[in-house]
Amino acid sequence: MNKALHFAKNNKLLTLVAAIYLLLFIFQPAKAMLSLGNSLYYIKEMLTIMPVILLLTALISAWVPTSTIEKNLGKNSGWKGAVFSFLLGSFSAGPIYAAFPVSKTLLQKGASIANIVVLLSTWAVVKVPMLLNEAKFLSPKFMALRWVLTTISIFIMGYLTEKIVKPQHLPADSSQENTGENTISINREYCIGCALCTKIAPAYFKMEGKKAIVIKQNPGPAALTLLQAAREKCPAQVIKM
Amino acid sequence: MDLFTLVFWILTLLWLLFSLKKDKGKTLKAIKMSSGMMKHMAGEIVAILFLIGLILTFLPPELIREFAGQANSLLTTIVFALVGCITLIPAFVAFPLAGSLVSVGTSIVPVVAFLTTLTMVGVVTFPLERKEFGLRFTLVRNSLSFVFAIVIALLMGVIL
Repeated sequence: MNKALHFAKNNKLLTLVAAIYLLLFIFQPAKAMLSLGNSLYYIKEMLTIMPVILLLTALISAWVPTSTIEKNLGKNSGWKGAVFSFLLGSFSAGPIYAAFPVSKTLLQKGASIANIVVLLSTWAVVKVPMLLNEAKFLSPKFMALRWVLTTISIFIMGYLTEKIVKPQHLPADSSQENTGENTISINREYCIGCALCTKIAPAYFKMEGKKAIVIKQNPGPAALTLLQAAREKCPAQVIKM
Repeated sequence: MDLFTLVFWILTLLWLLFSLKKDKGKTLKAIKMSSGMMKHMAGEIVAILFLIGLILTFLPPELIREFAGQANSLLTTIVFALVGCITLIPAFVAFPLAGSLVSVGTSIVPVVAFLTTLTMVGVVTFPLERKEFGLRFTLVRNSLSFVFAIVIALLMGVIL
C-alpha cells in the first residue's frame, strides 16, 4: 500500500490518467475502448521513434566534445561564441534547468550575456533528437520552418537581452563556499536523475526518489579518479568536490 | 514506418556500429545514461500518450475548429502560449500531443506558440533561474521568449 502511494506521488499525471480510464471503463466502456484505440496509434508511433532518439542522444553525448565547445565560450569570443553557444545547446541533453549550472560556470569564465541567452534558449528548444520527433508527429516541413524561425529569434533575443541586462545586474556569486578538500556534494535542485553517477561510483552515490544523493565522504586517492569521472560525465554538472 | 524515420534509423545505427567499434565502453556508458534519463520520464510519457486518446475521444473536432481553428485568432494563440508557460511536460511527448491537436483541426498557430513557450518559458523554474541569474535577466529572457513564441507562431501561420 505504502509503495503504491509512493508511486502515485511520484507519478501524479499517470495516476490521474489511470483513474480517469478506470472510471470510464465502469461508466462508459465504449468511450474507454475508443480512447484506448486512439492512444494505441500514438503509442505505436512513439515506439518506432523512441529507441532511435535514445540512441542518438547517447551517441551525441559520447562523441560531441562539449568540453571543447565550452572552452571556446570565454571572453572576446565574439560571433564565434554565439555559434559555439548554439552548438552546445543543440547537442546537450536534459531540460532547460540542467543548463543553469553550466551557464553559470561559463558566465564566470567570461562568456557574454548574449551567448548565455543563446545557450539557454537553444538548450530548451532546438535539441537535435527532438527535431526528429517533431518531424515525425507534425511534418518535416513544419520542423524545418520552426527551426529556422526559432534560430533567428534566439540570436535576436541574445542581442536584445545584452542591451537591457548588464553584468552588474547579475547576482554576485555566492556558491563558492569553502568546504573541506575531500567533501563531495550534489546540488540537488538541478539533478536530473539520470543515475549516471551511481553507476560510475556506486560506493559514493545513491538514488533517493528521483535525485542522486552522496552517501560517503572522504574518498581515498583510488576513488578520486572515479569521482572525477562522475563529475565530468554528469549532464547537469551538479557534482561539486 | 515513414521514410524520414527510416533514414534516421539507418544513419543512427551506422553511427552506433562505428561507435561500438571505436570505443565500446564509452558507447555503452552513454546508452546507459540516456536510458536512465528516459526512465525518469517514462511515467509522464505513458500518461500523455493515454491522455491523447481521451482528448481525441472527448474533444469533438467541431468544438476545436470553432475555438482554435482559425489561424488569425490572436487570443487563442496567446491562451495556448500561456498554457505552454505553466505546463511542465517533457518536450519529447509534447510533439505527439501537438500532432493530435492538429489532426482534430486545431490551427497550427496556437500549437506552435504552445510548443515554443513550453520549452523556452519556465514559470515553474523561474525561482531557480532568478537565483542563478538575477531577477532582471530572468524577467527579460522569459518575456522576450514569450513575445518571440507568438511572433514565430504567427509567421508559421502565414508561411505554411
